[in-house]
Amino acid sequence: MTATLTATGTTPAGTTPRGPRGLVWSVLRVHRTALVLWGLALTAATAGLIWMYVIADEARRAYLPCSEPVAADGYPSCSSLDAITADDYYSTGIALLTSALTFAIFPVAAWAGGALIGRELESGTALLAWTQSVSPVRWLAAKLAVPAVLLAAGTGALVLLNRWAQTDGNPNVVGDWYGPDVFVGIGPAAVGYVLAGLALGALAGLLVRRTLPAAGAGFASSLVLYLVLDHFRKDLWPKADRSQAGELELPRSAWQVDWNATWGRYPGEGTPRFTSATFHPRSHFWPLQLVETGILLAVAATATLAAFWLLRRRTP
Amino acid sequence: MTETAIEAAALGKRFGRRRKRALDGCAFQLPAGRICAVVGPNGAGKSTLLSLAAGLLHPSDGTITVLGQAPAAAREQVAYVAQDKPLHPQLTVADTLRFGRELNQRRWDDRVAERIVAEGDLDPDAKIRTLSGGQRTRVALALALGKRPELLLLDEPMADLDPLARHQLMATLMADAAERGTTVVMSSHVVAELEGACDHLLLLGAGRVRLAGPLDDLLAAHRLVTGRADAGLDPHTVVESRTTGRQLTALVRPEGPLDDTWQSTVPTLEELVLAHLRAPEAPALRLDSVPEAAV
Amino acid sequence: MTTVVTIETSTAVAPSRGPRGLVWVMLRVHRWALWFWVLLVAVGAGALLFVHGPGTDAAWSEYRAMGCDSPEVGQACDYSGPAISRLGLANSLGGLLNFVPLLAAAWAGGALIGRELENGTAQLAWAQSVSPARWLAAKLAVPAALLVAGTTLLTLLHRLAWSSAAPLRSIVPWREWYDDDIFLANGTLATAHALLGLAVGALAGLLLRRALPALAAAAVGLLVLTQALGSLRPYLWPVETLTQKGMYPPYTGMVLDDGALTSTGARVEDPLCINDTKCLADHDIVGFYRDYHPSSHFWPLQLVETGIVLAVVALAVLAAFRLLRRRTGAAV
Repeated sequence: MTATLTATGTTPAGTTPRGPRGLVWSVLRVHRTALVLWGLALTAATAGLIWMYVIADEARRAYLPCSEPVAADGYPSCSSLDAITADDYYSTGIALLTSALTFAIFPVAAWAGGALIGRELESGTALLAWTQSVSPVRWLAAKLAVPAVLLAAGTGALVLLNRWAQTDGNPNVVGDWYGPDVFVGIGPAAVGYVLAGLALGALAGLLVRRTLPAAGAGFASSLVLYLVLDHFRKDLWPKADRSQAGELELPRSAWQVDWNATWGRYPGEGTPRFTSATFHPRSHFWPLQLVETGILLAVAATATLAAFWLLRRRTP
Repeated sequence: MTETAIEAAALGKRFGRRRKRALDGCAFQLPAGRICAVVGPNGAGKSTLLSLAAGLLHPSDGTITVLGQAPAAAREQVAYVAQDKPLHPQLTVADTLRFGRELNQRRWDDRVAERIVAEGDLDPDAKIRTLSGGQRTRVALALALGKRPELLLLDEPMADLDPLARHQLMATLMADAAERGTTVVMSSHVVAELEGACDHLLLLGAGRVRLAGPLDDLLAAHRLVTGRADAGLDPHTVVESRTTGRQLTALVRPEGPLDDTWQSTVPTLEELVLAHLRAPEAPALRLDSVPEAAV
Repeated sequence: MTTVVTIETSTAVAPSRGPRGLVWVMLRVHRWALWFWVLLVAVGAGALLFVHGPGTDAAWSEYRAMGCDSPEVGQACDYSGPAISRLGLANSLGGLLNFVPLLAAAWAGGALIGRELENGTAQLAWAQSVSPARWLAAKLAVPAALLVAGTTLLTLLHRLAWSSAAPLRSIVPWREWYDDDIFLANGTLATAHALLGLAVGALAGLLLRRALPALAAAAVGLLVLTQALGSLRPYLWPVETLTQKGMYPPYTGMVLDDGALTSTGARVEDPLCINDTKCLADHDIVGFYRDYHPSSHFWPLQLVETGIVLAVVALAVLAAFRLLRRRTGAAV
């Protein structure tokens, strides 16, 4: 009896075509629309970034020193540089794609709360999976792991492409590295954000167990996370201080956090007696990125643990 | 195979702290290989009991074992069809069956599942979203049977099927159960649908077990009697009695030979169930061979 | 016993206080959304009142204490103190007004229409003594009334806060009247956009009939529509032109275009001669022009755009009703 069972059970399985199997297949199939949309978004962003790379040099020419009328010193004429339009496309395109990377956390969290978890619990299809030979814990693990891999891979690839398309990272063209819409999209923090959004959304879905409220809760919690990190980003790494007599001007590459001047008798008159500034030099980019990514991964891990704990408490 | 399919002891389930218990102190034993009907009024706890057996809920009190193990450990051997037949609406029929195959890799039998779907004339490429309620039920049953379960839990399985489909699916179910020795637990409040199919009965009322045991034994333990209204029925246990004019009709559990003044017959399943539903205060009766007898 | 029952039914029939019928159903079904909206308006209004009163005063006195109001403004005045950053935070909370259209669209597509059609509660309502068209009318009218009330209040408060911050605006780099979010929050457009969100969401919900896809489509659709409508803004009213000989006219208002003028009055691209007279003469440049909208164009621009947005709203609502009628086959 058991032998026949195993035989009939394995025969059709053996003829199954290549490709993902088991829980992975079911997650990909159930969320095929989301998968297709993610694929389209990645394709579009990749195409856009390649185009940006192609016009990067042309865009930078618009920022070369020029002279009018053309002098003997070899500078190009200013009107010829002014006629370049690539810099507009380039700056807009890079800004658009970089902020898309920054804000990807919001749709991801809403999707994870609504479609990935909340809807399955609301409509009972989660129970359908749990009464196959799959425990709720393995179900949730697949629900989180498959999107996590796809999101991390896609976002990571886009960040690398973005850095490649930004070439020298000239702040006149691509924005300052510390700009709130720039910082996240040019480093590993972007991956941290989407993963944190996924975990927060899943936790919201398990807590609320209804599609739309879970989508809203996922969105709201990721918004809070984003705003908090945006506000405290400058405190994530020890700041550099510099003070000197007279005036002090920091280079543009420095992220100025605070600036104080001690004046003589009349404030604001003439030059200050003493100036001090607190800032992050360009070299703080990586420490800041890594600390922020670490925090995001910790948030993602905590939310994931909470989600599993909640599920285990609720189901045998 | 294990001898006992489901065994519950002092089983209770409460949703939220303040609300009434959905199940309260349920104890029963279901031997393997039976076709068990779970009957009771709305809100009696039928769905809660089946969810507990399917390993979808934690019991608040007591224990339940399925095929000799905790329900969560028996997941692979148990199939469950929930009352509202949840299925992914965006999947096609074929993909829904593949869903079953992918998630039951060690047990799945495509032929069984495909036969049930084919008998309903369903297009494998039709989206679940486009199916009628009855067609959806058929797919849900195909998914459950394709798993080749040892225990099949069906919550109101036939509610939205037409009579022909109901008949046909019931026959498939019974043939399959007889051939493979599957234990089937089926909840319903349509008693007629269970008559002739079931050989075991579990009657729930207000979260408690009212009747439990093999159907024949339960029926044999009761008598439907008619006689004069002024005649006494002591010492028998009266489940329910009604008087029309001077005539009294009662369902009793005889505690010895019945008086000759009474005309008595063995009740049908429907009569047994209806009498118990009409008389919620009647004492419980358990004949499922457990030493600590009645609750 | 029977009398008690009769008394109870009679009280139920007698029109009691509070909303009745479909309006009551709307408010009851979407109670959470109602509370959320009340909370959002309260937070926004509180923040704007803070900006209007204590916030600006504190920032202004801090500004004075830093010596920034002396005629020679020092460098220190580029940087904000705690009072100014508090003011900025309050201002951005007041700017919640800008997110209302998006929230309205997502909610209307998902919860208001999409979910009801997906799980059949819409049909439940139609099976009562309510025609689908009346159902949709109530679904749109009640939120529309609440949205109009809330956004109007916030707009008025935003204007108040904006005017009281005027002295600060002239000194520190502040927002301009034509910045997208300020332009929206200071006039009738905030209300029109909120209604646009509602209409787009309802249409998406009726088209897709499923909660989450409708939510996503409504949000994306609204973002695209508002971007498109916003890009039309500068062309909705005739621009004014300033010309000046020798140098550019002062930079004021919403500038659309600028460039150089030749002696024939033709507009040409600025050859960037700066002050090189020979270069200017070579290119026959005699002056410069600027096309711009002065701040007096605020209301004309605002009203024309509001009209266009409301027309789009009307189209979307009409489409929604037509779609519903075609689907349900019912006469209105």
